[in-house]
Amino acid sequence: MNAIKLTLFAMTATVSLSACGSESPEPTEQIVIREPGEAATPVEGAAADADGADAADLVAAGKSAFAACVACHSVTPDGASSIGPNLYGVVGRAAGSLAGFDYSDAMAGSGLTWNSGELDEFLTNPSAKVPGTRMVAGAVNDADDRAAIIAYLATLSE
Amino acid sequence: MSDPVSEKPERSRAAKWTRRGFIGAGAIAGGALVVGVAVRSGNPVGKLKGIVAQGEGEALVNAWVKIGSDNLVTAIVPHCEMGQGANSTIAQMLADEMDVNWENVRVMDAPADGNYVSQHAVRTFVGPGTLPDRPNQVSFMEPTYDGLFTQIGKLAGAYITGGSSSVRSTGQNGMRIAGAAAREMLVASAAKEWGVPAAEITTQNATVIHAASGRSEPYSAFAAAAAEQDLPRAPRIKTVDEYKLMGTPAPRKDIPSKVDGTAIFGVDAGPEGENLRYAAVKASPVVGGAIASMDASAAKEMRGVLQILNMGDFVAVVADSYWQAQRALNTIKITYTESENDSADTATMFAGFTKALDEAGDSGGNSKADYGDAVGALADAVTKVEAEYKVPFLAHATMEPMNCTAWVRDGKCDIWTGTQVPLMARDGAAEGAGVSADDVTMHSVLLGGGFGRRLTPEYTNQAARLAKATGYPIKMIWSREEDTAQDFYRPADISRFTGGLDENGKVICWNNVHCTEDEPPEAPLVEFYDIANVSVRNAEVEWPVRLGAWRSVAHSQHGFFVESFVDELAAAAGKDPVEFRRELLKNSPRHLAVLNGAAEMAGWGSPLPEGHGRGIALARSFNSIVAEVAEVDMTGETPKVTKVYCCVDAGFAMNPDGLKAQMESGIIYGLTAAMYDEITIKDGAVEQSNFHDYKMMRMDDAPDIAVQIINGAPDNLGGAGEPGLPPAAPAVTNAIFAATGQRIRELPISKHFA
Repeated sequence: MNAIKLTLFAMTATVSLSACGSESPEPTEQIVIREPGEAATPVEGAAADADGADAADLVAAGKSAFAACVACHSVTPDGASSIGPNLYGVVGRAAGSLAGFDYSDAMAGSGLTWNSGELDEFLTNPSAKVPGTRMVAGAVNDADDRAAIIAYLATLSE
Repeated sequence: MSDPVSEKPERSRAAKWTRRGFIGAGAIAGGALVVGVAVRSGNPVGKLKGIVAQGEGEALVNAWVKIGSDNLVTAIVPHCEMGQGANSTIAQMLADEMDVNWENVRVMDAPADGNYVSQHAVRTFVGPGTLPDRPNQVSFMEPTYDGLFTQIGKLAGAYITGGSSSVRSTGQNGMRIAGAAAREMLVASAAKEWGVPAAEITTQNATVIHAASGRSEPYSAFAAAAAEQDLPRAPRIKTVDEYKLMGTPAPRKDIPSKVDGTAIFGVDAGPEGENLRYAAVKASPVVGGAIASMDASAAKEMRGVLQILNMGDFVAVVADSYWQAQRALNTIKITYTESENDSADTATMFAGFTKALDEAGDSGGNSKADYGDAVGALADAVTKVEAEYKVPFLAHATMEPMNCTAWVRDGKCDIWTGTQVPLMARDGAAEGAGVSADDVTMHSVLLGGGFGRRLTPEYTNQAARLAKATGYPIKMIWSREEDTAQDFYRPADISRFTGGLDENGKVICWNNVHCTEDEPPEAPLVEFYDIANVSVRNAEVEWPVRLGAWRSVAHSQHGFFVESFVDELAAAAGKDPVEFRRELLKNSPRHLAVLNGAAEMAGWGSPLPEGHGRGIALARSFNSIVAEVAEVDMTGETPKVTKVYCCVDAGFAMNPDGLKAQMESGIIYGLTAAMYDEITIKDGAVEQSNFHDYKMMRMDDAPDIAVQIINGAPDNLGGAGEPGLPPAAPAVTNAIFAATGQRIRELPISKHFA
């Protein structure tokens, strides 16, 4: 058995030695699945699933992830805007164009049209994409979640 | 910092000044040059100035005080805030000496830079004081002062928060002198500017005043000029009757941020504007085990997973969110290498303790105290009393589990973490990142509980290794299960006593042998009790787990052992427990006053309802004396502690509200362990994992607590963070005895009422 003497400093010294039990602090095995920000590649074998089933799953996942957004955004046709604009039909719409919503100057003048790519960048870091936007909360860190939310938003149109 | 050796003229000139105190430049502590005095061009404090005084028009008067152009005074404190409030209190001490009103005071944590090493913390922990004119230099550590201790203290980097030392050490010997020196330098600057004698200048509310000419200016007007002044050789420190802020319940500076949620703890912190990735980790549950293999086939396909790493001594999953990482980690099948501790269990370990105690007998083992003739005197005893007590391993169970955020890039490493030892945490990260300590920037943030758990650097090391391996910023968070399994545990112990009483029921001898090393060494000693023949020893044993400092350290065990046995002696003598202790304390007036204070608060001797009982216990730790009376209700299935009356003499309560809060906190932490908890080992691993089997005391179980303060020695301060704890457990078990006649000799108490 290890005889570990109890002394405040002796104890901590023991730690600093044992913290790197291996010869080198480098990993002995490192499995890299993807880099941060990269969308997840479809899992091998899953491709056999029907595309339609995958898409439906993605939309369902997006609807679920969108729960974090509903405090500010309504998504029903003709739903009232609240803190943020109504997002029904947002995909394909020009940024800052919903009538009656008080956009920041930055958003109104952004010149963006919301497609999947622009939405993905905006949701990654709203203030970086549109500096001056009033959407100060709501960044979605998870790339999969962003993809799902965008897929869900794309279904919300006539 | 630049090469300190080349700054010799500065050092030697300033060094004369250390005669009076803390701000002495040139003192070596923790292997680094401690500067801490005036800032002037060419002075090595330049780097510090760059770190802490970045605002326009700010000047560092000395390394512990900063005066802004807005006349706000910032105290730069070298301790970590883990809820204890000491940083606010030591700022209060500085402000009082400096004549600054509390509203104008801000508190800032010292950066983890060697210059801020608290040399008084070094003295407190590492060796005897070298300031004979300061009676509050802690001397209890002197017996442990040896080469090893000093060496490790230096390696560790003695910027440390522990040992209940902030107020009595850094505050008393550092901040007060810094404040007084700063004030004198400001006065000297004003005298020069105005062409008047310094003696005619007074100060109040951060303002220098010359009444005769009707002139007054805020401190900020002279901040830059003061930095050019010669250092006062012996700044005058206030006497107790001159205190304005000291001794008052000035509101803690950290409260607003904790109420409005802006306070940043380790688990909240990280690089601004960066998307953090999260790591969950798992190490071998057995000490000495490493990773033999991992099967991550399921984890590889789980959402959010970025990387899976076998780090040799632990496995990690890096993912977009913490929960994704943890869930993926939970699916990995890990096998571990063999360890010599694979078959360790608590029962075998305790059997080893018993064997070691048997071998030590009545005079073997390492002597901790030996006066009179404890063995010989027993032969003269009319009544002999023997008892054996046992306490378990304990975990710290901090509210915030261990965590660290790290980012390694371009040969540099940044870490964000809550730690009691920033310099050691920094070194752990440096080792993990493969960079020098100078290339680590340590962002020290609030601790969600410390209690001694955050005195180790292994978690900063892990985070830095992961950040290096991945190349991007990583927030590593231990699960509660990992936190419980990988703690540095409060040592279990068995302690045996033999005592003898004469025909009058007076204690004539006290013989104790136990197993733990004693840290601090006075923990098992009873010199304040009037007993002529005493032998205290420990027997060396082996440990299958990591051991650590747990709030009040060895006092946490010995408070229970000693005060239980005193109670048993009182019962054998047929005497009231308070009266019995009064006789033993006849030569210890401060202890006696505290004992009497607690007894009076509790109405000792007054009737209690049927099935209720009162118990008292007294302990001296970290230079403070605390007595507690617990009341228990034994009419239910399990004991219920209804009230705790606490009387404390910490020398002088610099902030009475803070001292009370620390007593309450120590009592709750102590009762939590005493009532419910133990860490047990089976097949080498800790059996407990989370709050369902390692319970915390909740509101509905918490007693009403009353605290009374005695300022018994204003020049001899004691600590606050730990001393409330040691009497809590024995006060309760003594109360159970009073109520039912049942003597609890093994903790936790819940074991006896299952």
